[in-house]
Amino acid sequence: MEGMASAVCEVMPGREIKHRKPLSEERLFGKRPRSLGQGGRRCPRWRQKILRYLIIYWKCETETSKGVLLEGQLMISIEAVNSKHQPNALHCVTTIASARSICGVLVLKKLQKEIQSILPGFSAKLTSTVGERSCSPDTSGATSFQMIFEVDEKPRTLITDCLVIKHFLRKIIIIHHQIRFNFSVKVNGIFSTEIFGAENEPILNLWNGIALVVNYQHYVSRPKFITTESHCSRIHPVLGHPETLSIPDDVAGMGLLGELILTPVAALCPSPRVFSTQLNRISSVSIFLYGPSGLPLLLSNQEQPSTTVLKDICYFIDWKKYHLCVVPNLDLSLDGDLVLPDVSYRVESSEGDQYQNMDPQRQTLLLFLFVDFHSGFLVKQMEIWGTHTLLTAHLSAILMESRSAVRDAIQTTVDHVLEQHHQAAKAHQKLQASLSVAVNSVMSVVTGSTNSSFRKTCLQALQATDTQELGTKLHKIFHDVTQHRFLHHCSCDVKQQATPEKKDSAQTTEDAHESNSLELLAEVSGQAENKRLKRESLHQSVEEREAPHSASVRGTPQVSQRHVEPTAASLTMSRAEHRAVHVRAPARARASPGSLLEDALWLQEVSNLSEWLSPSHKSRTDGSPEPSGAGKGLLAAKRL
Amino acid sequence: MAVAPGAEAAFFEVLDRHRASLVAALRRGGAEAGTQGTRLASSAEILASIENIMQDIITSLARKEAPAFTIGNRSSWENIKFEDSVGLQMVAHCTTRKIKSDSPKSVKNFALILKILSMIYKLVQSNTYATKRDIYYTDSQLFGNQTVVDNIINDISCMLRVPRRSLHILSTSKGLIAGNLRYIEEDGTKVHCPCGATAVAVPSNIQGIRNIITDAKFLLIVEKDATFQRLLDDDFCNKMSPCILVTGKGVPDLNTRLLVKKLWDSFHIPVFTLVDADPHGIEIMCIYKYGSMSMSFEAHNLTVPAMRWLGLLPSDIKRLNIPRDSLIPLTKQDQVKLDSILKRPYVTCQPVWRREMEIMANSKMKAEIQALTSLSSDYLSRVYLPNKLKFGGWI
Repeated sequence: MEGMASAVCEVMPGREIKHRKPLSEERLFGKRPRSLGQGGRRCPRWRQKILRYLIIYWKCETETSKGVLLEGQLMISIEAVNSKHQPNALHCVTTIASARSICGVLVLKKLQKEIQSILPGFSAKLTSTVGERSCSPDTSGATSFQMIFEVDEKPRTLITDCLVIKHFLRKIIIIHHQIRFNFSVKVNGIFSTEIFGAENEPILNLWNGIALVVNYQHYVSRPKFITTESHCSRIHPVLGHPETLSIPDDVAGMGLLGELILTPVAALCPSPRVFSTQLNRISSVSIFLYGPSGLPLLLSNQEQPSTTVLKDICYFIDWKKYHLCVVPNLDLSLDGDLVLPDVSYRVESSEGDQYQNMDPQRQTLLLFLFVDFHSGFLVKQMEIWGTHTLLTAHLSAILMESRSAVRDAIQTTVDHVLEQHHQAAKAHQKLQASLSVAVNSVMSVVTGSTNSSFRKTCLQALQATDTQELGTKLHKIFHDVTQHRFLHHCSCDVKQQATPEKKDSAQTTEDAHESNSLELLAEVSGQAENKRLKRESLHQSVEEREAPHSASVRGTPQVSQRHVEPTAASLTMSRAEHRAVHVRAPARARASPGSLLEDALWLQEVSNLSEWLSPSHKSRTDGSPEPSGAGKGLLAAKRL
Repeated sequence: MAVAPGAEAAFFEVLDRHRASLVAALRRGGAEAGTQGTRLASSAEILASIENIMQDIITSLARKEAPAFTIGNRSSWENIKFEDSVGLQMVAHCTTRKIKSDSPKSVKNFALILKILSMIYKLVQSNTYATKRDIYYTDSQLFGNQTVVDNIINDISCMLRVPRRSLHILSTSKGLIAGNLRYIEEDGTKVHCPCGATAVAVPSNIQGIRNIITDAKFLLIVEKDATFQRLLDDDFCNKMSPCILVTGKGVPDLNTRLLVKKLWDSFHIPVFTLVDADPHGIEIMCIYKYGSMSMSFEAHNLTVPAMRWLGLLPSDIKRLNIPRDSLIPLTKQDQVKLDSILKRPYVTCQPVWRREMEIMANSKMKAEIQALTSLSSDYLSRVYLPNKLKFGGWI
């Protein structure tokens, strides 16, 4: 186990890379390496599948109450050296480790067996350990769980797999922001490591245990023209209403006893200020597919978007009403730090390109499709895994079977998002048209006047040499002056003015400013909508507590029993607050159902703000390794 | 029954005395309207006013300030004062409203005001006239509807403190005129109003008409076109000759009001109104007599305070024993309207009018002019009006 030193290597931002003491053979559980299958057949994306299984396992094991967000750190390390057995191949040792126990000693054997069953064609040497603590002073977070896989792979396969894993992790952390992944790769001595995590980033609690990170920089790169004045640093997702999906007959026989629920979530990214008059156009649509437990769907080759119903999103969304034309975008690169969508479309204006050419500000419509599994009983990890497998192979057929419901759910959600966009665009057009009329009218009088004194005064006022220049200047100034005033009326601007500024550093100030101001946005400008959403959320919690059968349902709201209107969602900051809503409310509900909701709401608001502003929040972020402020993975490449 | 004027020379005796008293009152009151409020402005003044506005806008923008129009608030009673000799008029220092260029709500209105100002500028420069409808059709999509244009023109008129005709904007008249009247329109057209069964439209450019000739003993304003036509069919103008009949076909437009005002100012002949005995009829009558709130800034050129209410009076219903089945119960809206009129400032100086309105309120019934046909098909033209005119049945 020569590679074990790097396998548990951990990078802390701002600190030097430290090496843990390698785990000895004696400390391995089971001592003898187990073999996962025989025959050397390859299982594509096996690392992702194992990761997904572990997280499902982890979630099921650790989740004792509903709504708890998954929290912890997983270390994934790949060490590769030239294989002694195969030419042009690398001997890869993949280690997945956790500082906290994902499973008990007794269930590890079961876990290994299940992994063997989920990867039938996979051949690798597996070594695992659990419950051991390192004596090293460097490893304050002792490794309590560790699995090691050994396999020979082609270099290209490994490179591709590493890129795919990175994107897989990025997709996970935007939903499970409390999980941090330490991903390191060492190939023939060249070492690189990257941390993926979105802890302490603003999130939107969607439903039990599922949250969405709302920092827009996860989804689009920051263009130069985007400023805090013109755009919000967060996306403002709209939570659609859940729809029960029918399972086709040929798929229903696969032993799945329960309901599949589709919940769409949509947002524009970046989100323009409410009254911004900046011209915003949707240039692309990105669809992210998630299965049960909020884990990314890994579509099979047959289910790849290019070959399924998703290749034509028009099947589910009527774009014509927004005068948009959508075409699949196959030009997706794995390079980059953004969360890669499962399906991407390029939007072309049906009014022609001339409109787009004059528009420097493009937006992406983000559409998250969550398909969850819900039965009346406790959902076990194998059922969740089974649902993932089912969706992996039959997503297209399932969506087709419930086309009407899917279309209704998606269209309603997208309508809600685009309606705001549409209204903003209309307001902008109105302003532009009005300014144009105003300027032309003024110019008509100036050019038509025979009063030389009047003409001279007008030209001098704007320092124009002739009426043509006067017209140009007039238009520009008119636009600048009114544009500024329109932004001034923006509600985001109001909360920004009320934001206490931190003065630690320029970057901190900006980040804190944005985050705090958005909290205030939630309190001030978005109060009504937040209250509505939280009230629904609270109702949901109460409903779940009161429904005897639903207490055992993991991570699934009572979607089939309610049909909520899409609503702009609330922004919350931490698991504690999330828990506060879901735990406190039902207890108080028994005492006073009327005042309970309001009380819980305001307590949560106070809790949100005080926790965010408290010094402990800052010390927490200073005292532990964190991803960079923008929530991006910190990439540190080093030649050892 | 009253006898036709031709048969009895003393028919107009009461009318003549009434006219004499009106003229005497005018003399006692000194110089009449035309000295206050809006006044006819010269083309040069209008051009200079518009240039000043444009200059202010450019200067404001040069200072990086969003320009705005400040316009008197025409829809607020607090800006209205009542004067018996003029009617409703805007106070000198009225509250104003701002039409900002940097407000999403008002930016379009701001632009439209500028657009119409620039059109007025061209009209005045070229000494041509356009109707409000013409202006609307220059860009109907931009304006949206005619009311938008009408309101903006009134706002501009109020802002510049000049009557609409000084802005070279006319409106297509909807009113009709008949009877003893001749005049020459601005373009030279000679108009001889007929006394038979036909009528002519009220001219669009009242300011431009000249050589007005009439021997009329009175001017009768008829609220409704149907009643107007019935009177013409009954040969009312010949039977009651010499007289003038005018209808504004409901709520009068500016031209009809201007014509009535012009005829009063020119000849000081008694002006009477014949309206339904309902709150809506009274409202229309008040517009002729005292003016409307929205056009109060131009009251001096529009109102005829000497006008009298000839009929149909609510007290006539009982006096003439009009059958109950010819009456209509007052609706809730009628009662609201009636209460609103009773609270208006001019009602205090019209105790007789107030009494009539109280009769209506107490009876909770209203009557249209056509209710008189229940007595006889030509009762209105043969009996009711001649009697009223002969014996002074106006209030």
